[in-house]
Parts: sequence; C-alpha cells; structure tokens
Amino acid sequence: MLSRSAIGRQAQRALRKQCQQPANRRGLAAPASGSFQYETGTAAGVKFASRDMPGPTTTLALVSRAGTRYEPLPGLTVGLKGFAFKGTERRSALRIQRESELLGSELTSSHSRENLMIGAKFLRDDLPYFVELLAEVASQTRYAPHVYHEEVDAIIKMQQKKFLANVKEMAFNSAHGLAFHRGLGVPLNPSSSLPLSKYLDADTIAEFAASAYAKPSFAVVANGAEHAELSKWVNEFFGDVRSQPASDLKGEQSKYFGGEERIAHGSGNAMVLAFPGSSSFTGGFYKPEISVLAALLGGESTIKWSPGFSLLSQAGAKHPGAKIETKSNIYSDAGLLTVTITGPAKAVGGAAATVVETLQKIASGVSTEEFQKAKALAKFKELENGQNTSAAIELTGAGLVHGDKAYQIDEVAKAVDGVNEDAVKQAAKTILEHKASVSTVGDLFMLPYAQDLGLKV
Amino acid sequence: MSQPSLVNQVIKRPWLKRWLMPLSNWYTDAAGYRKLGLRADDLIPEESETVLLALKRLPPKEAYDRVFRMRRAFQCSLSHQLLPKNEHTKPEEDYPYLSPIIKEIEAELAEREDLEAMVVKRPARKRPPSMEGLAMTRDVHVAAQTIESE
Repeated sequence: MLSRSAIGRQAQRALRKQCQQPANRRGLAAPASGSFQYETGTAAGVKFASRDMPGPTTTLALVSRAGTRYEPLPGLTVGLKGFAFKGTERRSALRIQRESELLGSELTSSHSRENLMIGAKFLRDDLPYFVELLAEVASQTRYAPHVYHEEVDAIIKMQQKKFLANVKEMAFNSAHGLAFHRGLGVPLNPSSSLPLSKYLDADTIAEFAASAYAKPSFAVVANGAEHAELSKWVNEFFGDVRSQPASDLKGEQSKYFGGEERIAHGSGNAMVLAFPGSSSFTGGFYKPEISVLAALLGGESTIKWSPGFSLLSQAGAKHPGAKIETKSNIYSDAGLLTVTITGPAKAVGGAAATVVETLQKIASGVSTEEFQKAKALAKFKELENGQNTSAAIELTGAGLVHGDKAYQIDEVAKAVDGVNEDAVKQAAKTILEHKASVSTVGDLFMLPYAQDLGLKV
Repeated sequence: MSQPSLVNQVIKRPWLKRWLMPLSNWYTDAAGYRKLGLRADDLIPEESETVLLALKRLPPKEAYDRVFRMRRAFQCSLSHQLLPKNEHTKPEEDYPYLSPIIKEIEAELAEREDLEAMVVKRPARKRPPSMEGLAMTRDVHVAAQTIESE
C-alpha cells in the first residue's frame, strides 16, 4: 500500500488500524467530558445557552436571525451591524468604548447569510456588565440619522469597495445568487452598483432592528459562563426588549435554481463551481455524504510541504498557480457545495476542467483508502469547527432561534461516521446530473464556459 | 456656541418670569430679526467647528428653510426694507431648531474631555496574590463608575 521509506512503521500501523476497523475506534464524537454540550434555557422570554468551559475569559454573543437572507431591503443587515455599540439612550458610543476598554474586553459584530452576531469577549467576572450592554444595544440603541451619515455610511461604502475589488468574494456571492436567487442568494456585502441610499437610512434600520432584536428572533449564547449566573443576568436585563417582532422575518424555503454568470474583472481571476449541497443537521435536507465529498475533493492541503491526499490538490498540482478550495456551505434549510478556484486565468481554466473530471471519476468509483481519509477529515473538520468558540456560538444561537434546539455536534459527527462509499458515489452522480451554478470573474477571454467544462447549467 | 443666559434661573421663579416676560417680548421685537423673517437660532455665528457640525446634522427640510430665511433677510437688508407684516416671524415660529443640536455636540465634546482626563485609581487594600489580576479590573470598573457619578 505505502512504501516503507515513505512513511514510518508507526504511522503505517496507525493508518492500517484506522482503515481496517473504524467501528471499534473510540470516536472523537463521543467526548467523555461532554464539554461540547450547551445547556439551554429561557429567561425573561429570551432563549439562551451556555457552556461552562474552565478558564478566566468568557465569550458572550447575541445571535439574531437577521442575516442578509432575511433582510427586507438590501443592506439592512450591514447597516444594523454598523449600529451595534453606537450610542444608546443611556450612554454614548464613546463611553461604551472606554468602559469596555477599562474592563479589558473586545467588542465584536459580524454577520453571515442567516445570522447577525454582536458579542464581547471579557474576563469572567464582568459577565453582568456585558449582559447589560448587549441588552442595551438590543433595546435602547438610538438610530439617529447623523450617526448613520457620519459613522455607519462611510464604513458601508468602504466595504462595498473592498467587495468590488475581491474577485473571489464576488464569484462566491454570484454563485449563491445563481443557486438561490433571493433569500440565500442575496450577496453578503452589498455591491457598490446597488443604489443603497434608496433603501438604507436610520429609519429603515430602526424598523429592521425592531424585528431583529425582538425576543423570538434572537438568542444569547455564552462560552465560559455559569448557566445559573447567565440565567440570572439575562432575566434581569433582557426584560425591556421587545417581545414581538415589528414584522416577521420568516424566510421562504430555499429552492435551488442554478445557471451561469460571467463578470469581467481586471484584478484577478476566480471561478466558483457550485452544486446543491446539504442543509444543517436540524434542517430537513441533511446529507452527511456531501461533507465527505467536499473533504474528498479538498484542494487545500492540511499538512505542510505536500499537496496532501485530496483529489483536487493532487490534480491541481498540474496547474501551477491555481488555488482550489472545496467547501460544503451549510444553511438552515439548504446548502451549497462550492469549489472555488483562483489564480492566473490559464491555470484557473485548466483546474476547472480537472474539477469536473475528478467529479466524474468519483461518480464511477472511489478508492477505499481515500474514502476513509476523507471521512476522517470531514469528521475532524466538523468537530474542530464545533470546538472553535465563535463558530460554535453562531451554530448554537442559530439552532436555538430556528428550532429551539442547540446544535449538537456529537450527532453530526455520528452522521458523518455512517456515510459509506456508495453514498458519496451517488452524491457525485446526482450533482453532475443536476444543474450547476457556475460563476466566472476575471479575464473572460481566457476563462472557459460551463458548457465547455462538461457541466449542465 | 450657545450664549450664556439666565433663562433657567428666571423660569424657576414664576414671579420673576411674569415680571420679565413683557420686557423680554419687547426686547426680542426691538432686536428686529423677526421683521426680516429670521429666527433667533439663525443668528448664531457659524464660524466654529461645533456649529458647522450641527448645521450638517440638521434635517434636510430645516436646512433648506434656514437658507431660504437667510437669503430673504439678506435681500431685505440690501434693499433697506422690512418684510410685510404678515411675513414677519411669529413668536411661536421662533423656536430653537439649532441650539439643541449644538448642546448635544457640546455635551459629546465635554464627555470626551472628561474621559480623556480620567484618572484610574487603584485602592491601597492588600489582596491575596492569586486574586491580583481579576481584582484589579474590578476596581477599575468601580473607579469608572465613581467618575461617572461625579
């Protein structure tokens, strides 16, 4: 199987053991400590979750179902994110900043397609201060026009420009647009050709906030805080938050469309080949084989100085300069498997053809060894992601908001364990039969059309 | 940029207010800006960062009206005329539209000054060495709050 010179005896034994008897192995998915588990509860009508990790710091976040998917007008999510920790009825933005600096903390705000997170990292003892601060941001922020014009607007404009200059982001968002049209297809950052001033001002953002920061639309998640204590402070400070959203943020069930888009761009080349993927574990369309397929395709090496085992990184070595990444993007009710290729135009074109060939090869058969490696990697990535604080907080918060159920990473890892070769083969075959979403950004003279690659669009 | 005034002290004493009100009305009328269609807040000098920022923060309608009033007053002044009686600013129209914004900005600046000048004090109490790190931040918090209340 592997030559002795290439790999040490211990490693050979370990590999053989892993390949032969995966069932006997004590899975990483079953940690004895149970530290992955979030305890959940409700206080003052607000859903919250916490996990008490030993350590001197705490990460606290408010996860709201106000991602770009649910915004009624373009740019509202970004606008609302800009207003986080700005002046409230009780104190100014400057005071919030200085107080949190004095306590030694970090305030963060970020958004994804489905969620808006505002949070803080701080020393464990300061929990009440920051729970109060988040409650204040949620219920008492002043959406003043001058704050929007002087502080929020400028940053949005900068983000638009940054987005316009980034071919990879552009191709990725365009692929989402092709795949899901509206909802999940809305770009994560508004592009600069969008007439934002038509939709975005302090009043529309305030209206959106009344829906985004209402009790049913968000959850409070803490990492490294005692459950009872968090419950007490949430109960004390979150009483004033709106109990009903001003208007419902319900998104429609995502539907996959597919197609091709080509955008000329002067600074760099990117191609995204996207295929229908798997929804999250709690969503109705969960397919663990997709994440194994993503690991099998791969593209990025997990070890240094070697292309690694994944099929695309080996194939990609033939096209020097091309950087390939495969990711299974998981959303609450749909998913998108994306292969992103960036680099010089010629290499990108060549690599894109290789991606399709590789997929066809997988559809006709996978070697057992590679399959086992991919499965192990998929599981590792899943668990590693769950252990990572910020990702776990978002997943847990989203799980609570969307379905009253925290994200249980153990079950996901178990599901990945149950995938067999046939399922992956079948997944690759289905992907090739259905319409793909292909987005090409860059030197369009050199970059190929989806049809030339052998994809249906 | 708000001018010093004794208004608050006068309003607190109703007898004094009753006594001074006719005097105040006479004075405002005699100042003559109402006869040019202006408001008291139009007379605040613009040549300062604070007022310039306040002018930028005016709602679009207010800013437009302000420019209109000033142009009309300028024309009147050039032609050595007063507006016809029905176009004079009525006392109820002469409300402060700019000074609240100026006060807000001044408060912001004053707050910034206060925070810049803040001294963080640590209490002299002795603590067990293991608590040192956490205890320090708590005291800073307390110090911040005392400054807040001062």
